[in-house]
Amino acid sequence: MRRLALAALTLAAGATSVSAQSMRTFTTFRQLHGETRLDADLDYRAGGLRIAPGRTGELYRMNASYDEDRYFPTSSYDAARGAVSLGLRPAGEGGLRVISRRQLRQDANVAFSPTVDLDLDLTLGAVQADIELGGLSLSELTMQAGASQAVIRFSSPNRSRCRAAEITAGAAELTVLGLGNSRCDRFELEGGMGKVTLDFGGAWTSSTQAEIKMAVGELTLRLPRNAGVRLTLDRFLASFDPAGLVRAGNGFQSPGYERAERRLDIQVTTAVGGVKVEWDGPESRR
Amino acid sequence: MSRSGVRRGPALRARLAAHAAAVLALAALVPTPTRAAPGPAPSGGVAVELVRNFWDLVGSEQQDARRARPEPQAIQPAPEGTPPVDLSDLSRPSDVERRLGTALAPRDGAIRVTVPGGFARLGDYRIGSTEPVEGHLLVVRGDADVYGRLHGNLVTVDGDVIVHPGALVSGDILALGGEVRDMGGEIGGEVRTLRSTTIAAPPRAEAPEPGVLATVGRRLAGVFGVFLTLGALGFGLVMFARPNLEVISDTVSHSFGRAFVTGLLGQILVIPTFGMLIVGLVLSVAGILLLPFAVAVYALLVVVGALGGFLAVAHAMGETYTRRRMALGAMIGSPNSYRYLVIGLGALAVLWLAWSVFGWVPLAGDLIGGAAFLATWLLATAGFGASLLSRAGIRENFAGRLIPPEALTDEYLWATPQFGVPAARRPGGRTPTRGL
Repeated sequence: MRRLALAALTLAAGATSVSAQSMRTFTTFRQLHGETRLDADLDYRAGGLRIAPGRTGELYRMNASYDEDRYFPTSSYDAARGAVSLGLRPAGEGGLRVISRRQLRQDANVAFSPTVDLDLDLTLGAVQADIELGGLSLSELTMQAGASQAVIRFSSPNRSRCRAAEITAGAAELTVLGLGNSRCDRFELEGGMGKVTLDFGGAWTSSTQAEIKMAVGELTLRLPRNAGVRLTLDRFLASFDPAGLVRAGNGFQSPGYERAERRLDIQVTTAVGGVKVEWDGPESRR
Repeated sequence: MSRSGVRRGPALRARLAAHAAAVLALAALVPTPTRAAPGPAPSGGVAVELVRNFWDLVGSEQQDARRARPEPQAIQPAPEGTPPVDLSDLSRPSDVERRLGTALAPRDGAIRVTVPGGFARLGDYRIGSTEPVEGHLLVVRGDADVYGRLHGNLVTVDGDVIVHPGALVSGDILALGGEVRDMGGEIGGEVRTLRSTTIAAPPRAEAPEPGVLATVGRRLAGVFGVFLTLGALGFGLVMFARPNLEVISDTVSHSFGRAFVTGLLGQILVIPTFGMLIVGLVLSVAGILLLPFAVAVYALLVVVGALGGFLAVAHAMGETYTRRRMALGAMIGSPNSYRYLVIGLGALAVLWLAWSVFGWVPLAGDLIGGAAFLATWLLATAGFGASLLSRAGIRENFAGRLIPPEALTDEYLWATPQFGVPAARRPGGRTPTRGL
């Protein structure tokens, strides 16, 4: 009887058909041949994305697992301009099609050489992104994010000076950590709706300006205690708690702003939502 | 040795003997490669030898896969009119793969492809350290070993690219269905790999028709699975809703004709009734809110009615059979509802089992299948009708409608003469019917 049951189970298991999504693996890289700068354009429409510093002997590398029925990989390097175009783009003319979470199983790991000046232009669709830019030589960052959930980290100081970081986010949940390590002269964020957390912690080496525009959503500013902070706020139906900032003129500033060696000037424009201020690090350092 | 041990001894010995025979049979089946060392193995038993043979077999299979590669040879240019494959731009590997898929389709049994500004090879290809190659190179179903210099792009289909120390590939590399191994050479362009290509795969053979044994086995497994599921559901029904099941079963037994007609009408009206329910609910706001629940409940009721009715029919069949045997003097250990269900479902399965075994026979198989379907539908319809008539077993007096409740005595039920001595109605419960 038991054997009969086992045989039946075996037959039943054998008869079960398993359907799988048609996933393929794509890898691309380029050896480093003495290049000093790279203009990288990464267009990634759906799935998980990780960016991190790469090997010293490679200019860039992308390992991607993608749904070949809906997407195709691109990888093109223009030696004359020192520019590379990477990414996964939707096949056909249908644009972005997010049908189910299965589609988000796409995954890509992208790495750039830490020794070349990197001008990074990111276009993200429905993406869960974990972007580590610390340790790279980032000279400029531009990012357009759709319905994304992205974490951008500067875990270690940028190896070169960054002219600007500009981020445009649609309906996104965005977290930027360690902006003090970015060494960017200017930071701009334009958000549609969502939740944005900006952590200005890190090793500040110079003064910087940040311009933040949020339509609808919650904005959390995590401010550094080792730099003077001035916040200018233009809000309509948004709540705001100064949390230690004192009013000065048409804005708010940290107590030691005038005497601070490095200053952070933040201009926030928001319509509906709230602006929340937190402080980075222990209070004694303030 | 205990008595139980004494009793288990022969069985244990038989099992050990069977295992030994299986191992020997396996040893005989696994082929021993001819290059294996002659003579007995220096140490170890059959198991060691088996493991060794297994790995030899795996190794030879891998070598066979290598040997399956075609002999290295040049691929002749395609005839005029055939579009060439341009390998100068490899930035879109999917497009390149698509173009190659078309170009590499064998024509008259041979692959012919034209590579502008380059050439194509079939099988493994090696660029020596003293022979620089100019132009784009396409290698199909083979590895490209680069020791020297290639001034152009390199594409492999179903093969790897190995760039050895000191080698140079000035252009891009694309490996479709392979990988690129940079052993220390220089690659001037981009490296791309796209796994699991099917361009050069041999044409897939049509799946063979399953044999008679496979068909029979599959059908038997299906029938077994279905009736096993029905049995499980039936046991659950007996456990949690036995009174209802018994009432429906009695209804089938006593009013089979009416149950069948009712079931037939129920099948015909099930969809119109559903439509009326929807329309009726849509007319009011509260009804619209209730609509999803009503749809779910209606579907659930229909399924429960049909399935419960079918199981009740099986119960009735098993009960009738058991009682007839008992009337003939057979001793039945425990005549309860579980037994009735098993017997009834077994009887219902007989036709389907016959179809499983003989279904492959021309004409007869179809007839048996048709008969099995017809019998199942007929009984399921009667069961569904009985469910409706007895309101899913709630209206218990319907089962005894044609026979006065007083007549449903133990004597009657235990196959005494049909109009036996009426027994007193038992207090506090429904008229004792069949089953326990």
